Amino acid sequence: MSADEIEQIASEWLAREDRGLTAEEHALMERWLEESSLHKVSYLRLKAVWRRADRLGALKRPPAAGRGASPRWIGLSVAAALIVCVGGGAWLAWHRTVPPGQDFATGIGRIQAVRLADGTKVELNTNTRLHADVNDASRTVRLDSGEAYFDVVHDDKRPFTVYAGNRRITDIGTKFSVFRNGDDVRVTVREGKVRIEVLNGDGKQVLAEAGHVLVTKGLETLIITKPEADIVNDLSWRDGMLIFNQQTLAEAAEQFNRYNERQILVEGPARKIRIGGSFKADNVDVFVLLHRGFGLSVNEQDGTIIVSR
Amino acid sequence: MNQDALDDWFMREVLPLEPMLTRFLQRNWRHEAEIGDLRQEAYARVYEAAKRERPQLVKPFLFQIARNLMIDRLRRQSVVSLESMADVDWLNVSDDRPSSEAYVAARQELRLLQAALDKLPPRCRQVVLMRKVEGFSQREVAKEMGITIETVENQVAKGMRLLAQAIGGRRDAVTAQARRYNFFRKPRHVR
Repeated sequence: MSADEIEQIASEWLAREDRGLTAEEHALMERWLEESSLHKVSYLRLKAVWRRADRLGALKRPPAAGRGASPRWIGLSVAAALIVCVGGGAWLAWHRTVPPGQDFATGIGRIQAVRLADGTKVELNTNTRLHADVNDASRTVRLDSGEAYFDVVHDDKRPFTVYAGNRRITDIGTKFSVFRNGDDVRVTVREGKVRIEVLNGDGKQVLAEAGHVLVTKGLETLIITKPEADIVNDLSWRDGMLIFNQQTLAEAAEQFNRYNERQILVEGPARKIRIGGSFKADNVDVFVLLHRGFGLSVNEQDGTIIVSR
Repeated sequence: MNQDALDDWFMREVLPLEPMLTRFLQRNWRHEAEIGDLRQEAYARVYEAAKRERPQLVKPFLFQIARNLMIDRLRRQSVVSLESMADVDWLNVSDDRPSSEAYVAARQELRLLQAALDKLPPRCRQVVLMRKVEGFSQREVAKEMGITIETVENQVAKGMRLLAQAIGGRRDAVTAQARRYNFFRKPRHVR
C-alpha cells in the first residue's frame, strides 16, 4: 500500500475520532494502528497537525467585531462565543487597535500583543495585568503584575511612561521590557534609552540603555550590562520560548512555573545543576525529560513535579 | 517505554523535523512522487527503533535512516550510480542540539497555519475554519452549513491531509537551518 493510501485511511480514522468514536470503532482503529508502524506514524503525523491547527483559535474574532464580515459570520461568532466559552480569550491578537484607558490581562501560559492608539506595541507575557491610558496629552501604562514588552513610538511632546511598583520608567525612544513581582521591578532595555526614577524618592534617577538590565529592590537599583544575545534570550518569551544558558535548574524551574499550572519543584543539590537550551514555555514535559541525563528522580504529585537527586 | 510516551515522544521530537526532512529528500531524490513514501518509511523505522530504545540524537538518527533508505532504493533500482551521490556531504548532522529550533515561534506558527488554511479548497476551508477557529463540533458545523455529518467528516479528513502537506513541505522555517548544514550546499535535482 502506498504512503498516500495509508494516509487516506489514517485521515479517515482521525476525522472519525474528531467527531467522536464509539467503543467498537475505537477498537477497530487500534487494531489498524497496530498492524504496522507505517499506519501508526501516518496517523501520528496527521494527529499532530490537527492538534497544531488548534492554534488557529487565536484568529477567532471578538463576538461584536464585524470587520466587514457578513451578518451570518457575526451570528456565528456570537453563537460560538456562547457555545464554546473558551475563556482566556485569543492567545495572540495581533494589531488590535484599542481606545485609550484600557485594561489588559493574560492568563497563565498566555501571551498577547496589542497596539495602543499611538501605535506603540505592547506584548503581555504570562499572567500579566496592565492598564494603559493614551490621550492627546500623555501616554501612561500601569503595570499591575507580570511582564510586558514595549515597542514605543517616540513622541517628544508626549513621553511614554510606565509605572511599576515604586518606579517610573520613561522612554527616550526605545524598546524595553518591564517585569514586576510585587515591589521588585526588572527593566530590560533592548534598544534606545529609558529613564528610571524612584517614586516619592529624592529625585534620584538612572539612565539605562540598550544592553542594560536594571533590577530594583526598595530604593536600590542595580545595573547589569549584558551582551545583546543574552538580552534577546531574556526576551524570548515573546515567541513563547524560554532560553537558558547555564542557568541553574532552580532558576529554570522558576521561569517555567510562571507559564504553567503544573509547577516544578527542584529540591536539594539538584537545584545547582546548570542547564542550557531552548524550550517551549508551555512544555513542562521536555523539562522533565531533561533530567534523565542527570540521573535525577522525577515524581509528579497533585500537579507538582518534584525533582530531586 | 509505554505506548503513549512513545507516541508523544515521536510527535514532539521527530515530527517537528519534517520540513527539514522533506527538504533533504527533495534535494536528494529525483522522483517527487516518492518523497511521501520515503518519509513515511523513515518515520516508521525511527518509530520501530525507538520502541526498543530512543535514539539520543534524534536529528542525525532520522537523517541517517532517510539516507540509508535512499541508498537502498538506488541499489535496487540502479538508476543512479552511487558515486554521483558520494560528493554530497550529506551527513554533517552530528550536532546534538535539541530539536527545539525546529519548533516555529508562536507568531510564525500562527501565520504558517493561516497560510495553510487559506490554501484549502473553499468548502474544506470553511469546515476547518468553523471546527478550529470557531471551535464548533463536527455536528454543529454540519448543522450550520446545512450539510451531512459525513460530508463534514470527509472534509475534516481532507483538510488535515492538506494542512500536513502545506506545513511539512514549507520552506520558510528551513532557511535558518539550511545555512548550518553542508548537505544543502550543493543543491541537486533542483527543478
